[in-house]
Amino acid sequence: MNKHDGDTGKPLLELRNLSLSFHRQKQVAVDRVSLKIAAGNTLGLIGASGAGKSSIARAILRLIKPDSGEALFKGKNIFRMNPQELKSTRQRIQLVFQDPSASLSPGRTVEQTLLEPLQHFAIGDANYRQEKTLQILDTVGLDQSALRRYPHQFSSGQQQRIAIARALVTNPELLIADEAVSSLDVSIQSQILQLIQRLQKDFGITFLFISHDLAVIRQIADDVAVMYKGQLLEQSPADQFFSEPTHPYSKTLLAFATGKTPKSWQGDKWFLERNRRSAENSSTCVFAEFCPDKMPRCEQLEPAMLEIQHKNQHASGSHCVKCHLYDEVKTNEH
Amino acid sequence: MTTPALKVTDLSVWFETESGRIPVVDRISFTINAGDATGLVGESGCGKTMTAMAILGLLPASGVSVESAGIEVNGKDIFNLNARQTRAVLGRDIAMIFQQPATALDPVFTMGQQISAVYRRHAGGSKQHIREAMLDALESVGFSQAEDIADAYPHQLSGGMRQLAMIALATVCKPAVIIADEPTTALDNSTRTLILQQLERLRTLHKTAILFISHDLNVVRQICRDVIVMYCGRLVEKTDCPSLFIQARHPYSAGLLSCIPQISATRPTPISSIPGQVPVLTDLPPGCHFAPRCTRVEARCRKSVPELDDKNGSGAACFRPL
Repeated sequence: MNKHDGDTGKPLLELRNLSLSFHRQKQVAVDRVSLKIAAGNTLGLIGASGAGKSSIARAILRLIKPDSGEALFKGKNIFRMNPQELKSTRQRIQLVFQDPSASLSPGRTVEQTLLEPLQHFAIGDANYRQEKTLQILDTVGLDQSALRRYPHQFSSGQQQRIAIARALVTNPELLIADEAVSSLDVSIQSQILQLIQRLQKDFGITFLFISHDLAVIRQIADDVAVMYKGQLLEQSPADQFFSEPTHPYSKTLLAFATGKTPKSWQGDKWFLERNRRSAENSSTCVFAEFCPDKMPRCEQLEPAMLEIQHKNQHASGSHCVKCHLYDEVKTNEH
Repeated sequence: MTTPALKVTDLSVWFETESGRIPVVDRISFTINAGDATGLVGESGCGKTMTAMAILGLLPASGVSVESAGIEVNGKDIFNLNARQTRAVLGRDIAMIFQQPATALDPVFTMGQQISAVYRRHAGGSKQHIREAMLDALESVGFSQAEDIADAYPHQLSGGMRQLAMIALATVCKPAVIIADEPTTALDNSTRTLILQQLERLRTLHKTAILFISHDLNVVRQICRDVIVMYCGRLVEKTDCPSLFIQARHPYSAGLLSCIPQISATRPTPISSIPGQVPVLTDLPPGCHFAPRCTRVEARCRKSVPELDDKNGSGAACFRPL
């Protein structure tokens, strides 16, 4: 596999005001989300279940149709691509799902599973494909004997390696991992995380890593984006996020993840309300109801996404936050 | 000495197959006192769930054999009961919280009906009394709108709420022992916090003994005092939680600990992992089952089986502990 390089630092993928809803339920799943992923970086997308994380992943690949907005892959809008352009883009963007036993076809051998993307995208000739499948197995740490076997003959960790191999076989530049390690044992999880880190180092693959587990995100993300009720509330370099989260919701998430109970905690009301979205969302801050730092204007006016400048700017991406607390304080002194 | 809430002595489980007996749980003994929580940890396939099912007498009668020198709840032996006797014990003296509430709950009954059924079976009483007990159980796990939850079918609740309703179902008769099998594994952090708080409340308020099964030591650490580490059906280390986190003595426990990603302000060093994987049960290595993956292995590890090294039945089962 060739290392993707040259453009490091430029956004490989940029979302602009992406909105998506499921009309039957009149449910807004993703609400005007803008974010950037720099080439060669890992963006960790976090938030509670139902925040809209997976909907974003599916929209990027046009598996579901967005209402509005743009998804620019290397500057080109995926939503306006013709079928040919879309096909070649899908070869460059691959997806790894949460449950490997459900995402691998039970009736296909590993070889058939790995050859299919190569055939679909008409990559190389028979010899190349044969060689490529062997090479990719080696990359993910499985041996050749795996080719003739079926998914059920593997453990869940090995199945996830096969799913990753299937995603890698087309030489993608962007890999979207949707809770790819969440269903695995801690010991297997750490093996898969090691594999992902190695892939990034060796091949320069850019990752959009979706997870609700902050400890996993800390392990592999360069930048962190936080979603709540379909909206992006903060995007920040990981070091900044984990040492000094800015948005009150980010603070809440981090408190939960480290086993503390945040002050905004309201027991079962949290469950009942946290995924309920009303049509009038746009006139308030979505987190106002549970926010420990709520001010009167939070329920009157939706905050704008503001970029926060740091004196000692972290090496990776910019830091944006959508909260009235930072309306005036645009420069954060360190 | 007080009678422990749960006392398991030399519990073994085998799968009976055409090619012979396969050991799934191998001579496990432990006790949990009232008001204590013990964590049972290990990778998938180590026998954690089989241990729980064997304690509850929920394993099928054919294909599996269970042996034990006694499983006691508050001094009463519940091992080798017939089906009718088992039904009388489950839910009243000992109850289980399953990993997947979506599949463990009955989709065609409301939560209220399901919880009432348990209470009617074991405690009985007037309709009014049963309804009060049911609402009480829902309120006690933190639902402020207990009536709404009682009228809801499982599919109308989110994953976290379903798990809470499941806890209400398990605790409506205030059993002495609760076995929680990976109750927080599929849940996000905020939901997990709520579930753990409720289990903690049961433990302190009703002195319920909890056997908490999980592969996540971070969670076990939050609610358990003692911890049991299992590998391939055997108990490899038994100690209290703080000691395990300060100095795990069995190389397998140490390996599990090193796999846990940590949240820190500075970027963590690359995560480590235990090499290899859990062997298949039909092909267990002789001697210590962990020997092929162990970094401290020596010749005798591959021949004989180490026992727990403390006289009181705790410690590490290892010839070369850390």
